[in-house]
Amino acid sequence: MVTLTRAATTRRRTTIAGRDRALPYILVAPLVIFVIGLGLIPGIFTAVEAFFRVTPFHPPTQFNGIDNFIALARNSAVRVGAVNTLLYVVIGVAMATVLGVAMAVTLQRPFRFRTAVIAAMILPWALPGVVESVIWTWIYDPNSGVLNSVLHSLHLIDNYQVWIGNNRLVAITFIEIVQVWQMAPLCALLIFAALQAIPNELYEAARMDGCNAWRAFWRITLPLARPGIAIAMVQAVVNTLNIFDQAYLLNGASYTATSLMEQTYFITFQNLNFGQGYALSLVVTLATLVLSFLVVRLVYRKVEF
Amino acid sequence: MQEPPAAMLRAFTEQTGIKVTWIDLGWDDLQTKISTSSVAHTYFADVANVDWSRVGSYAKLDWFYPLGSYVDTAALKKDLPQLDSFLVNGKLIGVPYDADLKVTTINRKQFQAAGITTLPTTMAQYTADLRKLKARKISAHPLGIPLAAAEGLSTYWYQVTAAFGGRTFDKSFNPTFDSPDSAGYRALQWMADAYREGLVSGANINMTDVETAQSEMAKGSVASIFSDSPQIQSVYNSKQYSTVLGQVSYLTTPSSPAPPPDLSTPDGAGIPRTAKHPQAAAKFINWLVQPNIQAQLAGLNGTDAPQISLPCSLSAVSELVSHHRIAEGSTVISMLKNTVRPVFPGGPPVWYPQFSNAAYTAIHAAVSGQVSVGSAIHTIAQTARDQKASTS
Repeated sequence: MVTLTRAATTRRRTTIAGRDRALPYILVAPLVIFVIGLGLIPGIFTAVEAFFRVTPFHPPTQFNGIDNFIALARNSAVRVGAVNTLLYVVIGVAMATVLGVAMAVTLQRPFRFRTAVIAAMILPWALPGVVESVIWTWIYDPNSGVLNSVLHSLHLIDNYQVWIGNNRLVAITFIEIVQVWQMAPLCALLIFAALQAIPNELYEAARMDGCNAWRAFWRITLPLARPGIAIAMVQAVVNTLNIFDQAYLLNGASYTATSLMEQTYFITFQNLNFGQGYALSLVVTLATLVLSFLVVRLVYRKVEF
Repeated sequence: MQEPPAAMLRAFTEQTGIKVTWIDLGWDDLQTKISTSSVAHTYFADVANVDWSRVGSYAKLDWFYPLGSYVDTAALKKDLPQLDSFLVNGKLIGVPYDADLKVTTINRKQFQAAGITTLPTTMAQYTADLRKLKARKISAHPLGIPLAAAEGLSTYWYQVTAAFGGRTFDKSFNPTFDSPDSAGYRALQWMADAYREGLVSGANINMTDVETAQSEMAKGSVASIFSDSPQIQSVYNSKQYSTVLGQVSYLTTPSSPAPPPDLSTPDGAGIPRTAKHPQAAAKFINWLVQPNIQAQLAGLNGTDAPQISLPCSLSAVSELVSHHRIAEGSTVISMLKNTVRPVFPGGPPVWYPQFSNAAYTAIHAAVSGQVSVGSAIHTIAQTARDQKASTS
């Protein structure tokens, strides 16, 4: 009886211990299924199909080696899109990082309504890119846009300007401002989280040693926020490399500011050349991985307090 | 097209027992939906919008049912002058339900103020008149062209090409626009010159659609749109939005040589191969294009805004004219009867999307001065040749 009871207790303990061990796997299972089903399998499929001719105009699907990549390299629109996308990345990552750091530092010390400010900051991030682009279309409008109106009222311009038109650098910068408006709040929050971990004592000690706020920013804040800055920069790299909504709505298909993602869309869904679409997606994915790795290597530093 | 009023759809359901669920999608979203569902053989709708520019590829890929056995093509042809835009090698891919054609509109008052007493009938005279409007400061930028790199820019070029007495392709889809004296070359040169001379506002370089040009004309800042779209409720006659009430009218497209064309760019309805209820879909399409339904959708009986921009049915337009529900209705009827014609007789080529993309990006680049007109023409022609070779 006793033995039986002991055995039952042991079994129950084993069951509970087993459940405890299984719990993390159960909790993480939906995410794993999601990642495998919607990320990994389509990713592998894309990588494989990139080496096949896949188009409903020329069935059946056939292995064609690196023909898709050669065709893309010869496509002038893709080449222009690649250069433009590089500009989007450089301009966008720089602006989002600087703005993110500035916003995070502003929020670093508690002030009245800080929570409300943080909540308001999130709004642009929560808006769909299409909605934002429509809003900014009105702001940039060359005939009746707010930007022209304000600058003209301040006597900063003589005539209303076409912001997104002929000049590649100007057009890309103005389109990138829209994307930065969306992603800077997330950058700020990531950096803000890193700043919150910096002990106040460090600033107090620095102040006692005669360090002013500017030097404290360069010597304490920036170095210790590097993990947060690196993550923020990586998400900025991913977003800018994949820019589509803003470029398409504000610029159309014009070479002035067309992006690689726009070309992926045109090749895949307009030209129905799925093989080349997969190949271009693969190129963008690899570029994202390489650039993200570089950012992590250059910016990320392990910080211990 | 907007969703038909609930009462009309209810009446259709009572009549046929078919329930209609209407879903609005953006143009780009719909194209993606059609291609993905057709490739994956999955259902997405029983009836879908068919764009005139896609009928060539839809016919080749067999993504839509040929409608010959579902509708009375001969009877429809008598009342729907834009039906030809959906015919590819005798296969009817869609039926037009919302008419659209390219026409020239002018502000008569502004033309008169510039001392223009005879309305232009040739491109040379039209251009001279636009210059006069600018020189006499009647309008700083008298011509409205939406110059953004989008589908509308290609269509604009086809219309100007037609006005210069030519076509984009010969019957075998060989480009006919690559010599400097060809109509297509001269058309692009004309567009680029108009922009550089300031006949077109610099702001238009990123203007996507003709609606924006129309609102500029309704404000009086533009005196003419060469490739306008006639509508039942024209913004020019809107008391709310227009400062040029009663001043804007259609102009027979300036052209040399005659007869002038009005290119047809209608929206049609078709039945995807993946439809679950093709018979019910056919009944709905037949209902949608009935003259009385078209007239109702155009706002004949109600005070609400019309659900379509212009009926595709001649009978429906005639009924609207008799009830004084459409401005310059007799001119619209005349255009639909006599001068309207498909952009590509016999249907667009299967590689039209690639061609159009190359055309509007190159035209945009030429007009904005990034490349020369000759270089843009070369790019467009080469795309046509490459695509033709790769699909033949």
